[in-house]
Amino acid sequence: MNLIGNLCSSLCSNLEGDAKNREAQRTIDAAIRFPLLSIFKASIVWMLIATVFGLIASIKLHTPGFIEECQYMTYGKVEPIFWNTLIYGWLFNAGLGCAVFLLARIGGTPLKQGVFLTITTVIWNLAVVIGVVGIILGDQLPYKWLEFPSYTAPILFISFLGIGLWCAMAFRARVQRTTYASQWWILTALFSFAWIYSAAQIMLVCSPAQGAFQTLVSAWYAENVFGLLIAPLAFATIYYLIPKTLGIAVVGYRYTGIAFWSWILFASVAGTAKMVNGPIPVWVASVGVIATFGLLLPTTTFSIQFLGSLLSRFSKIWDTASARFLIAGVLSFIVTMLFKSFGALRGSQEVVQFSIFESGVNQLALFGFAGMVFTGASYFILPRLLNKEFPSPTLVDLQFWAHGMGLVLLCIGSISGGIQQGELINGSTADMLAVVNTMRSSYFLASTGLSFILVGAIAYNVTFFWMLLSARSKKEASTSLIEEAPELEYTAS
Amino acid sequence: MNRGPFIFLGVFIILSLTWALVINKPIQETGHLSPIFDAEQGGRLPIGIKGGAAQGKLVYQEFGCIACHTQQVRVAAGFDLERGWGERQSVARDYLDETPVLIGNSRLGPDLSNVGKRQTDASWHMLHFYNPDITSKGSNMPAMPFLFETREIVGEATSRALKLPAEYAVADGYEVIPSRKAEALVAYMKSLKVTYDLKEAPKSNDVMSEELSVALENAK
Repeated sequence: MNLIGNLCSSLCSNLEGDAKNREAQRTIDAAIRFPLLSIFKASIVWMLIATVFGLIASIKLHTPGFIEECQYMTYGKVEPIFWNTLIYGWLFNAGLGCAVFLLARIGGTPLKQGVFLTITTVIWNLAVVIGVVGIILGDQLPYKWLEFPSYTAPILFISFLGIGLWCAMAFRARVQRTTYASQWWILTALFSFAWIYSAAQIMLVCSPAQGAFQTLVSAWYAENVFGLLIAPLAFATIYYLIPKTLGIAVVGYRYTGIAFWSWILFASVAGTAKMVNGPIPVWVASVGVIATFGLLLPTTTFSIQFLGSLLSRFSKIWDTASARFLIAGVLSFIVTMLFKSFGALRGSQEVVQFSIFESGVNQLALFGFAGMVFTGASYFILPRLLNKEFPSPTLVDLQFWAHGMGLVLLCIGSISGGIQQGELINGSTADMLAVVNTMRSSYFLASTGLSFILVGAIAYNVTFFWMLLSARSKKEASTSLIEEAPELEYTAS
Repeated sequence: MNRGPFIFLGVFIILSLTWALVINKPIQETGHLSPIFDAEQGGRLPIGIKGGAAQGKLVYQEFGCIACHTQQVRVAAGFDLERGWGERQSVARDYLDETPVLIGNSRLGPDLSNVGKRQTDASWHMLHFYNPDITSKGSNMPAMPFLFETREIVGEATSRALKLPAEYAVADGYEVIPSRKAEALVAYMKSLKVTYDLKEAPKSNDVMSEELSVALENAK
């Protein structure tokens, strides 16, 4: 609790010693500026790439003639490229960027060995590039979210170990000994990913389990990528950004422990729910269904904490770009978890299994929850890191609304379209061609949504690179722009 | 919870225990199946994929067909049997030889577990891959013209050339020849059929009674 006090006191401008605080923060930021900027650069470019591939895949569903002649861009290749660049390109880098910033700031000391972090993340991103090229050339593996060819796995894993090691050392180097929830989540994400990635690679590629059980491992892995890597990094960011942007402690912070442990417990099993009616023992899927439903427990705690905090300072949300992204992310999270939990029940799966419902929910979780939270965080971090103002607040607004509107369209297209598709495929003997015909409007809606998100991604890229490349104005060069007071928070309008 | 090692340890214990429960336990208990030898049903079961079909499986994997097609039949839910996608539940033993396994989890197109039984005609598959519009009007399956070569007829027309309907025909004096990959893919499609019975996956009553009536007819 000590630390929350510190977080809050740093927000209050009338407290003594604030200038000294700011000076200390600038030293901390300066130590990680170079690696952090390179991580954000990668994430923002990957976001654009992922969205472009997503849009191509989506267009191919309603207009199959689109880029038809090219054997390197079949739907079966573009679709996994979309998901993998989205996860390992954009969200991993964005989440890592937030994690590094949080570790440095909460730890309260300038971190060393930034070069090591830069090198490992560059290797990680090169491995992702190799993976994408590998899929284009036809070396993909048929496992969900593990489609990167097997030769990229060692590079990804070793560079990840480097990243994880750096973060663990950064955590150890903290001056402030009391830990905060954000740090628990970051440690969890890093450790869990090393564990699930190595387990999945060993059981799928090195010494593969027997046929049907590979599906089990693959389903377990894919759900854990969300539950134990992306979501924890996003939670870490939310726990930090709420006090920072709103100037209050997280409501009901003392229940964080329960939410933390129950989330890890349930999320690590939830993946097997996808195996309902599949060729594996029935009880395995049942355990997964129960666990997915159990996720409602931590979800409720998070909802009370996050929404309680955000709604108690509602007026700030519309003034502060970061807080606005944050609340959009939190709302997406709640909706995602409701769809995930109720969608995993056997009764629902009888309708939606194998339809685009699941990919719709995943898009909501990744573009909506994690994407919104990390983007909001980057709008908080970048001005502090560069000591520059947003070149154009309109662009930030544009991204928010384009991303948000796109998300709504995408989700209506994929989730409600998925339910419709499921009803036709699993609930009737309708001819598949008739199903395709009925679904065309939903596919079209999803494409429209992704085009909106693409506009947002372009605005994001322009803002970032404009900010990065423009020279500092006189004001920016002479003083610290950041005064850690909520009233003076960077606003988009 | 102010110590890193405590969090590491806690997370490690939870992850190992849940992994042991939902991944390792089922694999230890039921994941070491062996093929069955049944002389009446033609020897080793499952039959397995051989030769050109095995090449075709690689093509299937390369182009990511799994993004839209499953290869599993469910009995407890859905209308898989009524749709003619299979006659019985797919069980673990059916996938014994499959590494990597191509079960899939998305049905933007039909299930393919028994496509070799539904469509036995190789030329249908060829036309379907060349341009799905020819065989299934209105399908959103991507055409794969890159698996075929359009070339000038020199001398006599090749027998392997596709017999295209008039509205899809190529220019006069040209023919469309399937590449080796297309041949392999079609061989794979034709090999996709579950023709054997397993004790753990009995056929449904409807299928059994139908087979019985056919057998009785034959006996008469």
